Amino acid sequence: MDMTYFDDVPGAEDPLDASDVALLARLAELDERLDPVPDGLVERSLFAITLAGLESEVMELMVLEAPAGTVRSDAPPLETRTITFTHERLTVMIALSPGNTPRTVRVDGWIAPADTLTIVLRRPDGDHRSTADDDGRFVLEDVPRGLASLLVEQDDVPITTPVIEL
Amino acid sequence: MGGPGGRRASPRPALGSWAAAGASGSQDHEDARREMTSPPETESLGDRAAAALLGYRDGRTDAMREFVREATPLLWRTVRAQGVPREAADDVVQQTWAALVSHVDSISEPKATLKWLLVTARRAAWEVVRKARADEQRRTDLPDDDTETSATLPDPTPGPEAEVLRNERDRLLWGALRELPARCQELLRLVSLADRPDYRSISAAIGMPVGSIGATRGRCLAKLRTLLTEHGETSWT
Repeated sequence: MDMTYFDDVPGAEDPLDASDVALLARLAELDERLDPVPDGLVERSLFAITLAGLESEVMELMVLEAPAGTVRSDAPPLETRTITFTHERLTVMIALSPGNTPRTVRVDGWIAPADTLTIVLRRPDGDHRSTADDDGRFVLEDVPRGLASLLVEQDDVPITTPVIEL
Repeated sequence: MGGPGGRRASPRPALGSWAAAGASGSQDHEDARREMTSPPETESLGDRAAAALLGYRDGRTDAMREFVREATPLLWRTVRAQGVPREAADDVVQQTWAALVSHVDSISEPKATLKWLLVTARRAAWEVVRKARADEQRRTDLPDDDTETSATLPDPTPGPEAEVLRNERDRLLWGALRELPARCQELLRLVSLADRPDYRSISAAIGMPVGSIGATRGRCLAKLRTLLTEHGETSWT
């Protein structure tokens, strides 16, 4: 930063006054309107912390591709959604569609490179497990909607996805 | 909840189980709070971060839950300020929190917890931006001479003409803010989120130390006020 820009700003050493506080409040309000903190980010973060406490070391996948607005809260429940997660070692693609019972989803997944790995879908109230077949495909049926993260058991260091909303 | 079966036992409690654990440790908690509160100032965001870390180490999660609630908006603004798109920023914020509990025993100075979080979030954000630019480069079949523009991510925040800027006063403030250096904008954004403008811990965390005596306005905010006045705004409230 070019500090000379700031060498002599009148009032910089004055105590913070009511106008400053009001200006900062306006700034916070404007930021929240233009770029709101996503709904549910606190809850996803809390669950991510809980999951992080369960594993001493993980590789984290990032969302590579997902239809806008579908990974997080308020995603449409009745349409099929496809989300791709990626990492140097592994790519996981999942297709979500309505489950057989209300408020559940069916997860059709595919991992590449294909391998018969154990897949654990972690939810706040418990885990769902599956195993990928020789083609890297796996299915998890009737998973209740809500917060979830996938964990792929591979070698010594499991691979996880960010917390998303099913 | 149970951990993934067959893996090592959980060294940490699930956040959901914390109400019960917190109740039995209230004496320790009081001690920790007393220790954290450095007179004559009242407890700051940095102090609450330290208390959350110490509590978590002892298996108590109430302070951490509260701190996650309070500081997630700061992490969001920090990550977004580095140019990370919204979808990826969600992941980076989660990862930063997960990294905190993974490193909970290696943070030697609890008072530095807030700084550690903000620095970690910034680095993770830079990494995302770096990778996105590298991918962009790879996708370009013919190298563009003007790499500066071809590799730059789209501006994650709207310009002053955006519809969401409801009125002239909003446009003035947005315009003046964007005239400040990037780090100044970031500092003000973060400071504006603290319940009391907590300059000291936030500015130290993003590498812009301010004077140690009292809560002065500071150069960034003074400059913003000067710009607003120059642009014709007469009242900030």
